[in-house]
Amino acid sequence: MITKTVECRYCKSDFTVTGNPGEKLSIPCFNCNKKNVVTFSDKGGEFVESVPVSYALEVSGLVKIYKNVKAVDNISFKVRKGEVFGFLGPNGAGKTTTIKSMLDLIHGDAGQITINGLDVRINGKEAKKLVGYLPEKVAFYDNLTALQNLLFYAEMKHASKDECKVLIEEFGLGDAVKKKVGTFSKGMVQRLGVARTLLGNPPIYILDEPTEGLDARGVVLIRNKIKELKQQGATIFVSSHILSEIQAVCDRVGIISKGVLVAQDTVAELSKKLNLKPKLTLELEKVSDAVVDAIKKISGIYDVKTIGCMIHVVCDSNISAKVIVAIVNAGGNIVNLQTQTPSLEEVFLKYTEE
Amino acid sequence: MFSNILFSIAKKEFMDNIRNKWVLILSVIFAILTIVFSLFGSIFGTGWQDIQGTVSSMIAIVQIFIPIIAIILGYSAIIGEIERGSMSSLLALPTTRLEVLVGKLFGLGSILAVSILIGFGIAGVIIAVNIPNPDIVGFLIFIGATILLGLVFLSMALFFSTLFKKRSSAIGGAIFLWILFIMIIPMIVQGLLIAEVGIEPLMTGEKVQIPDWYYGAQLVDPGSVYNSLIALTIGSMSTPGNPLQITYPSYYSSGLMTLIFIIWIAIFFVLAYWRFSKKDI
Ligand SMILES: Nc1ncnc2c1ncn2[C@@H]1O[C@H](COP(=O)(O)OP(=O)(O)OP(=O)(O)O)[C@@H](O)[C@H]1O
Ligand SMILES: [Mg+2]
Repeated sequence: MITKTVECRYCKSDFTVTGNPGEKLSIPCFNCNKKNVVTFSDKGGEFVESVPVSYALEVSGLVKIYKNVKAVDNISFKVRKGEVFGFLGPNGAGKTTTIKSMLDLIHGDAGQITINGLDVRINGKEAKKLVGYLPEKVAFYDNLTALQNLLFYAEMKHASKDECKVLIEEFGLGDAVKKKVGTFSKGMVQRLGVARTLLGNPPIYILDEPTEGLDARGVVLIRNKIKELKQQGATIFVSSHILSEIQAVCDRVGIISKGVLVAQDTVAELSKKLNLKPKLTLELEKVSDAVVDAIKKISGIYDVKTIGCMIHVVCDSNISAKVIVAIVNAGGNIVNLQTQTPSLEEVFLKYTEE
Repeated sequence: MFSNILFSIAKKEFMDNIRNKWVLILSVIFAILTIVFSLFGSIFGTGWQDIQGTVSSMIAIVQIFIPIIAIILGYSAIIGEIERGSMSSLLALPTTRLEVLVGKLFGLGSILAVSILIGFGIAGVIIAVNIPNPDIVGFLIFIGATILLGLVFLSMALFFSTLFKKRSSAIGGAIFLWILFIMIIPMIVQGLLIAEVGIEPLMTGEKVQIPDWYYGAQLVDPGSVYNSLIALTIGSMSTPGNPLQITYPSYYSSGLMTLIFIIWIAIFFVLAYWRFSKKDI
C-alpha cells in the first residue's frame, strides 16, 4: 500500500490517497468532490489527468407513470460525446416522455438523468447550458416577431443579435424576420424552432422529431445540419419517425416500444442480431424452372420467390456472385439486378412487432 | 447572472403583455374615472373635489377593478404558456422554475404598476393643478396602496395559473377567489357584525362597542386592508362600499396593513412556486 498526499487538480487543496503500486484509481477530492485520476507508481501517488466524462447523456432506470399508463418503464441508455443517437419508436411509445424527462420538464417516478455528468434534477441550470432542445410541439410568443423571439432566447443563451439574424436567414425565414410568429405557417414555426435550438452553439442537441411538418427542402436542411454539427463534434440525440433519415445520419439507434427500450446498437449490429439477410432482386428475360432450381441448390440461400420475370432471393451477402453465375449457367439472361441491405425500417418493425 | 435572467424574463413578459391593448385602455379608463369622480364625486359639491374626497369616492370601484385587471394579467401566465407549448422551450433554457416565476411576477407586476401610475398619475396631475394645496403625498400613498392591492391579486392569479390543467379552469378559480375576497368574506363579516350589535346603532352612528373579532377578521380581506391602509394614511372616511362607521383599534397601523399585503403576496407566491416546481410540462 502507498499513501500519499496529493493536490486536487480543480480546487488545489491537498488530500491523502491510498492504493497499491501500479494501480490507477479515480478518487474524489475530499474538498470539492471532483474526481481525480491517480496513478500509484513506486514513488507514490501522482496525478495523471482528470476523469473525462465520457458520456454526454446518461439515462438510468427512468420510470414515468401516468394515472394508469407506464409511459416509460425502466429505460437506461448512454450517449457518448460526439455521437448521433437515433431514438425510434411507434406513436405513444414514450419518446417524448423520455426526452422531456432529460430536460427536467417532466419529473420521472424513478431514475437518474445526467447531462455531461451533471444531474438534471440537481444541476439543471448548468446542465441546460450545454443543450439545444427542439421540443415536439414547437411554440413561440405569437405577439413578438421572429427576431424578437429569437433575441429573447439568445439573451438567455448568450448568443448575439447577429447570430439570430444569420440563423433566421439560414432557415429560409429572411423575408419573415419582422413578422409576428403568430402569422407563421406550421413549417415556418418549425424552421424557426430549429434556429432557436442552434442558438449559442451548444455541444449537445436533443431533437424531438426535427423534420416534423417540414417540406422536402426543410428535411434536407435538417439532415445536412445534423451532419455539420456532428462534424463539429456535437452530440445529437434525435427522435424520429422517418427512419430513412435516421439511418443516414445515426451512429447508433435505440428502439423504444410501449415504454421499454427493446434494442440499442448500430443499425448493422441490430440487423445481424435479428438475422436479417440482404435481398437480391434480379430481372430476367425469362424465368425457367431450371434457373430457379439452380439457385436453390446453392448453400446459403434462405428464400427464392418468382413474380413474372423477377426473382427475389434472400441470401447471405457473400454469395450474390454465386447466384448470378448459377443463373447464367442455367441459361438465364439477366436484364437488371438490385441488392438491398436490411433497412432500419425492417429492424424497427421487427422490434416493435405487436 | 440571476438578475440578468430575471430581467430577460420580466422584460419579455412586459413586452408580450403590453400588447394586450386593453390593459392600456383600462389605465385610460382609470384616468377618466378619477377625473370624473373628482369633478362630480360629491353630490353636493361643485367643481373639483380635493384629493381626499376624490380618493374616498374612488376606493370602492378601485377595490373591484384592480383585482380584476391583476387576475386577467396573471391567470394565464403559467398555464397559458404550457397550453401554447412555449413553456418547454422557456424551461429548457439555462434557468430555474423559481427564476421564471419571479420574472413573471416582476414583468406582470410592472405592467400593473405602470398602468396604475399612468392612469391615476395623469388624473392626479390634472386635479392638482385645479385645486389649492393638493395632498400630493396622500395621492402617492393611494397609488402605492393600489399597486400593492393589485400585486396581491396578481400573486393569487399566478398561483391559480399553476394549479389547474387548463386556462379556463384557472380563470374560473381566480374569479371565484375574487368573489370570495371582494364579496363573500366582507358580506359574512359585516353580517356577523350586524347580527351581534344590531343594525340600528350602525345606521344611526350611535356609539357601540364593536367586537374585537371584527377587526381581526377584516385583516384577512385584502379589500378592507386596502381601505384601512388608505384611511390610516390619508384620513378616515366612509365609503359607499363600507357604510359602517368604524373607528380602528389602536393596533391598526399603515405598517401593519402594508405588512399584511406583503404577507399575502408572499403566501400566494410560495404556493405558486410549490405547485409549479412539481408540475409536468
Ligand atoms: N400528460 C399525460 N397524461 C397521461 N398520459 C400521457 C401524458 N403524456 C403522455 N402520456 C402517455 O404516455 C405514453 C407515451 O407518450 P409519448 O408522448 O412519450 O409518446 P411518443 O413516443 O412521443 O409518441 P409520438 O411518436 O406520437 O410522439 C402514451 O401512451 C401517452 O398516452
Ligand atoms: Mg412524441
